[in-house]
Amino acid sequence: MKYVIYFFFINSLCLITLNAQGCSDAGVCSISNSFSNTIESSKNQIEVGSVFGIGEAAIFYISPYVIYTHHFSETLSISTKVTYSQASGDFGTRGQFGDVYLLGNYNFKKKKETQWNALLGFKFPFTTANAKINEISLPLDYQASLGTFDAIIGVGLTYKKWLFHTALQLPVFNNNKNSYFDEYSASNDFQSTNLFERKPDFLLRTTYTIVANEKLTFKPNLLFLYHLGNDSYETIFGTREVIKGSEGVTLNANLITSYAFTTNKSIELSLATPFVVRDVRPDGLTRSFTAGINYIYGF
Amino acid sequence: MLKKMACLFLFMSFISCEKEGEFTKTPPQLVIDTNDGFVTLYYGVFYPTSGITVSGSASIYEKDSQKYVSLNDFSISSGPDLKVYLSTTDSPDTFVNLGNLTSATVYTIPQQVDVSVYKYVLIHCQQYNHLFAIAELN
Repeated sequence: MKYVIYFFFINSLCLITLNAQGCSDAGVCSISNSFSNTIESSKNQIEVGSVFGIGEAAIFYISPYVIYTHHFSETLSISTKVTYSQASGDFGTRGQFGDVYLLGNYNFKKKKETQWNALLGFKFPFTTANAKINEISLPLDYQASLGTFDAIIGVGLTYKKWLFHTALQLPVFNNNKNSYFDEYSASNDFQSTNLFERKPDFLLRTTYTIVANEKLTFKPNLLFLYHLGNDSYETIFGTREVIKGSEGVTLNANLITSYAFTTNKSIELSLATPFVVRDVRPDGLTRSFTAGINYIYGF
Repeated sequence: MLKKMACLFLFMSFISCEKEGEFTKTPPQLVIDTNDGFVTLYYGVFYPTSGITVSGSASIYEKDSQKYVSLNDFSISSGPDLKVYLSTTDSPDTFVNLGNLTSATVYTIPQQVDVSVYKYVLIHCQQYNHLFAIAELN
């Protein structure tokens, strides 16, 4: 029965992809993994992965990353994540390191069937989101980072086979120096984002864990994101203009399939696509579909 | 295992790349020729701000109701994110951002801009908010 549900979930993802418009994520989409210790027996853990995605105007993304996690005790761990992103589309191909994340996770004492945990982290950008090709400014869709220094706080609850995560990603310092103007661009696909200012994101993720056997686990989950306000940019006349419709909800479906080779080595495949998207998505984080693969090694 | 991880991380750093596409190909340069219907409206010589070297001049031309800023015999100290501004004063307070300072010498002025209001052409570093050069138009 579980496999039948899994089969239909996969098929529904494929069908949704045809009409899907976007999946917004300034980092919060992927931080839920930091709530849980994937390989519980290891003091250290390295995860190497890559996400492949399709964005606005048929931009193709390859976004590899590396995460190192150190468990100081059963309750406290710290993770560092480094991201890279390469975007290819009508503007050309541009690849750069994106952000580095520093995340601390605290697991409260486990009770009978519940466990709470808390997350505190920071995101530091490697770029000012102003990469160019041939001196031509690129939209945020081609930038590896949004150029914001963010604080991330979150709470997680594990109840039986359910996991609930909430998180808030709050830009605390904006170093976005993007200089893309729709007025001067050969493309009509992208919103002007000169000196872009971004509002915070709120995340709620619900995950159900299906253990097929001791090696194979499925984690279907729903990801609710709310972008808490309209973003803004500076016009060619030097005035700040609000981007109406950039506030709002994004709802994504995600399926993670995990296979454990041994107790300290596992591989995960993640497929995701959105059901609901914001009217305007200037931040370039939009994906109509993503497929991720990662390898986790504990030592 | 760690060596493999390190190799992969190094691979990530080497795939940093930049390749032009359809929308980032260098466009053909527009040539201002007064014998071809371009009328000179304003002209000014650039002078630098402190620590900057600049030479050349700026002109505003008009042809078929479209106006252009042209930089003539222009060179300037390098900067990280230089823009061409039309400005009402000699500082970047009220301005029109004409885009990146590139190897192009001619910049199209948007139709809605009343050039008679803007008396200066500025070269301004947007990233660090630093003014590089000023040309007063007469």
